[in-house]
Amino acid sequence: MSREAYQVPSLGGGNAFSNDNLGASSLDGPLVAYLCGECNARVSLKRGDQIRCKECGHRVLYKERTKRMVQFEAR
Amino acid sequence: MAPLVPSHEELERRRIVDINAETVANIPSTDFPGHWPGESHEWSLERFRDGFRIEFHQNKQFESSFSLIGLDAAIANAFRRIVVAEVPTLAIETVYVHNNTSVIQDEVLAQRLGLIPLKGSVEGLNWMRWFKKPTDDDPNSGSNLSDFNTVVLRLDVECTKNPNASRDEEDPRKLYKNAHVYAKDMVFHPVGRQEQYFTGEGAIQPVNPDILVAKLRPGQKLEMEMHCLKGIGADHAKFSPVATASYRLMPDIKILRPIIGEDAKKFAKCFPKGVIGLEPITAEDARQDSEYQGHSGELKAVVRDPFNDTVSRECLRHEEFQGKVKLGRLRDHFIFNIESTGQFDSDVLFLESVKVLKLKCARWKRGLTDLMR
Amino acid sequence: MPSSVHSQDNDQSMVDAQPQHQEQTEQEEEVIELEEKRIVVLPGASETAASFQFEGEGHTLGNALRYAIMKNPDVEFCGYTIPHPSESKMNLRIQTYDTTTAVEALEKGLDTLMDLCDVVTDKFTTARDGFNASQMES
Repeated sequence: MSREAYQVPSLGGGNAFSNDNLGASSLDGPLVAYLCGECNARVSLKRGDQIRCKECGHRVLYKERTKRMVQFEAR
Repeated sequence: MAPLVPSHEELERRRIVDINAETVANIPSTDFPGHWPGESHEWSLERFRDGFRIEFHQNKQFESSFSLIGLDAAIANAFRRIVVAEVPTLAIETVYVHNNTSVIQDEVLAQRLGLIPLKGSVEGLNWMRWFKKPTDDDPNSGSNLSDFNTVVLRLDVECTKNPNASRDEEDPRKLYKNAHVYAKDMVFHPVGRQEQYFTGEGAIQPVNPDILVAKLRPGQKLEMEMHCLKGIGADHAKFSPVATASYRLMPDIKILRPIIGEDAKKFAKCFPKGVIGLEPITAEDARQDSEYQGHSGELKAVVRDPFNDTVSRECLRHEEFQGKVKLGRLRDHFIFNIESTGQFDSDVLFLESVKVLKLKCARWKRGLTDLMR
Repeated sequence: MPSSVHSQDNDQSMVDAQPQHQEQTEQEEEVIELEEKRIVVLPGASETAASFQFEGEGHTLGNALRYAIMKNPDVEFCGYTIPHPSESKMNLRIQTYDTTTAVEALEKGLDTLMDLCDVVTDKFTTARDGFNASQMES
């Protein structure tokens, strides 16, 4: 995903930390993969999902590292 | 009128840089035309060839030591400076990180990789050309990546759990696979003619395979491509072919008046072992020097091997040796010590430096012909 | 500063380089070798007194060349300076007697250094081979 394609999420979808499901809004939106901070399992979430590992229930998830290649000078 | 020729004693005196308790004296070279009235000192290749000597003290693959005797500091220093900063070697210059989930940051890892000394066939290295970097003004001005200017290394490591490890194992190297990433994990990917030049023993590889590059834990991964270029130490120290290249001047110790008995033992203690020797005073000594009279059979201090002296000047601090000893260094005796990082043998490095200096002169001379026209 | 580059861009340039090897190599090598160094004569020069500016040189060549030129009895004065440490330029001043010119003195100095290098190489290899042989015996 290029930087330009990024769009600020609308506030209408509700607070991501709230557990109360507002229903319809959680159906669309892209899947984003996260890594569990406890068991390192891959967790795919979309907007409105509960932030929680499906394997162990841990509540700290990390974003994956960028797939983009990065160039460095060895200096 | 034939030029005056100074006496041997005078020449020996001019060779010595005086080292006093608090000062040094007689420092600059004076062997130039016009410095000493009536003497020549004109450059003569024959005279240089006759007066110039090289003595080897040690010649190991990665460390050598030798003396250059009979040349000026300006020349000796040029060779030293060239070995450190102008003999080219190969080093990792750019790192393309595809994935790095280890705890060590990309830029830190890149810098570590750059400093790993590499080796490969010398023939191949000489065949390689410079990679010209694009300038800020013109991003298209650099050279294209080719087999003769870029060497590609890859580092692809993933850490996993070791299923065969015993339960109470605590050593991460046994508990996991690839917990430690070493320099030897970098894989050389030859391109084009590199396959002919860098084959077998001559392949591009780290000199020290066991340099620890990074530590991983299960699930962490390194995936990167490294481009190595030819460069010189003046640009970045990672390109320098030596750990150290240095010289010191040969120490000179002169005992002006006899040092006898207990004093002689104390005198010897002022120097490193083996520099000062103790010898019994013979009847012959007593006959030649009145100060030895009545001391036959006692010990006297003699200079045995000034090479190992550190010129600490300790002996100049003691009252009893005042006026009895003169310290100095020989202005034209350079004791070189060259420690190679591994690309070249240490003796070859010096020859390379001479070659570089000559090439430099030849190139400037070509530039000069434009000027003369 | 790290800069992001698409991996594809890079792979392409490496792939591109291969088929063109032959022609490209010849050209590239030529260009690099031909890149000649130019000596600049600073303003105010006369036949027998001139300052030369060497681009990209430092104390290494400066001091060695100064020594070689000072060994010439037709040279009245020779000295070098690096006017500013962050510019890699070296200025060499030569003043000669009427028997020669500054440019000639400079050329002679370069010749002197090159001859000297040959002698050093010769003597070094002889000394090293002798030492290696003596080590083998013992």
